[in-house]
Amino acid sequence: MDSTTNIEVPARQSFMERISPYVSIFGPLLMIAMLMTFMLFVEPARFFRLSNFEIVLMEAAMFMPMAVGMTFVIAQRGIDLSIGSIAALSALIMAFMIKQYGFSPYVGIMIAITVGATLGAINGIVVTKLNVPDLIGTMAMDLIYRGIALVLAKGLVLAKFPDIIKVIGRGRIEGFLPVPVLIGIATIVAGYFVLTRTFFGRYALGIGSDPEAAEMAGIAVHRQRVYAYSLMGALAGLGGVMLAGKLNSIQATSASFLNLHVIAAVVVGGTSLFGGRASMLGAFCGVILLAMITNATIILRIEFFWQSVAAGIVIVVSVAAYSWLLSKDKDVSGNLWAKICSRQNLSILKFLGGLIAALVALFILGAVLPGPVTT
Amino acid sequence: MNVSLKDNSPPDSVPLVEMRGITKRFGGAVALNDVSLEARAGEVLAIVGDNGAGKSTLIKILTGVLRPSAGQIKIAGQEVAINGRDDALQLGIDAVYQTLAIAGDLTPAANIFFGNELTKSFLGIPFLDNARMKSEATRVLFERFGTRLPDMDAPTESLSGGQKQAVAIARAIYHGDLRVLVMDEPTAALGPQETARTLKLICNLRDQGLAVLLISHSLDDVFEVADRIQVMRRGRKVGTIKVSETTHEEVLGMIVGSHEKKEVA
Repeated sequence: MDSTTNIEVPARQSFMERISPYVSIFGPLLMIAMLMTFMLFVEPARFFRLSNFEIVLMEAAMFMPMAVGMTFVIAQRGIDLSIGSIAALSALIMAFMIKQYGFSPYVGIMIAITVGATLGAINGIVVTKLNVPDLIGTMAMDLIYRGIALVLAKGLVLAKFPDIIKVIGRGRIEGFLPVPVLIGIATIVAGYFVLTRTFFGRYALGIGSDPEAAEMAGIAVHRQRVYAYSLMGALAGLGGVMLAGKLNSIQATSASFLNLHVIAAVVVGGTSLFGGRASMLGAFCGVILLAMITNATIILRIEFFWQSVAAGIVIVVSVAAYSWLLSKDKDVSGNLWAKICSRQNLSILKFLGGLIAALVALFILGAVLPGPVTT
Repeated sequence: MNVSLKDNSPPDSVPLVEMRGITKRFGGAVALNDVSLEARAGEVLAIVGDNGAGKSTLIKILTGVLRPSAGQIKIAGQEVAINGRDDALQLGIDAVYQTLAIAGDLTPAANIFFGNELTKSFLGIPFLDNARMKSEATRVLFERFGTRLPDMDAPTESLSGGQKQAVAIARAIYHGDLRVLVMDEPTAALGPQETARTLKLICNLRDQGLAVLLISHSLDDVFEVADRIQVMRRGRKVGTIKVSETTHEEVLGMIVGSHEKKEVA
């Protein structure tokens, strides 16, 4: 605690320490740059067009509100695997109210968001009050919400919505930006202020950093966590409305590949899966990156399901990279190779090699041995 | 510093903290058996005892982390129910735990004001005033602890042990209406210089009229700053003695149980 020694410290601040606040957007920006470079060589004509960038933004727009919600949930050391179902169920209920009961579309939109908030609050209660771990709890709730949506819709596709919903989903302010993009950016900006300037944001980070410390500081941890899940649900409801408007239709199986996509976008943007650290700007960049990957796969005519492979790789790579960046011992000078060749790592490598060898042997065996006669 | 005592402080004859007949059972195990505790404003009461003597349990009951199975608590002569941390904070009771209970990812300023944030109003909505919290935190850390952190925006977990502890103590004493401060092993993880500074700070807080409850294994520290010592053993109170009227040997004897019960203070 000697003040004289402390004053000297800034001079010794390492390069890593100085850039660490910005690392959260470096990651996705770097990956975006890599993807763009790749596209520049492979398919520049169709990728680098203003209209294509608008398509990317449109693709990203629907994920922005949900990425904001997910940032708060992950910041407080939670996870929500039910948002796809919440989006589908909220939008479905809205659609039923409008199409079957003649509700005003404005009321319908509010209903969708409120349904989302309620389902999110139920998630929060399951996780906090019933003590079900968030991974299992929200996954189980996902089954429940999806099941209810399937029961409600009975295989129906509800389509042709009033104008306002289509405007939200795919409208455009001429000479400017599409409406959903504006909505998405507005939620990101609002999310940034809530995260950095309000009790809710501060407590989400504090709880995620150390739940016990938050409890000791007199913070109502369960209440704050329920709020975070509820905000997530409300924004998933909004995402559902945007999806319904974009496609001008909704069905029970909509938005089913959404959970990991949103989590990937948030995590690649530097929000720590271990809680306590979050970046709204990073989430924005992450959403853009994921949308660009989707867009690239479409332009290159790659099968849709490769997207889930891409999302998975993005999650693993970015979480591993941040874990390494935040680890205390980053000494890579010289003994890195020795570290990699530790005895434990070598046995893991041998084990993996053995499995692969066994697999190869089985394939050879299968090819050599005569199979049952099927003709 | 914002430590202001409530004007209606009771006369010295009424203890600020009075715990009577506190019993705590965890399932079948009895952690505390009919324990009492008295602490007055402007004194340091040390609580000593072997591991498992019930010191921490007693303190956790006072700070609202645990609820007693039986017994009553009076603050400034008034009986109170402490059902949670927020109740204790409301009554002006705060604690610095051995684990420090710091949110490592937050900045030092955010930790000092954690749960007690400064705000400014915009359109009638309270928003966090991060700039003022940062400048206040910088000021408090320098004035109280002589510490100038190299980077007030760095996460608290990147600080040294002593700096972290300064943050934890600063949080407790910044609390405006603080009357009772519990310190659980505040010097256990500190070097000699930092220990001396912490002990001096404890004396300062006492002189400002706080009741300081000090849990420590270090009898040297206890004899340096405490006014009275409460000895506990196996969930019971062995006795309370004045520091001026006892010796290391006597206290040690009471801790291990070779000395007779003695009630002086």
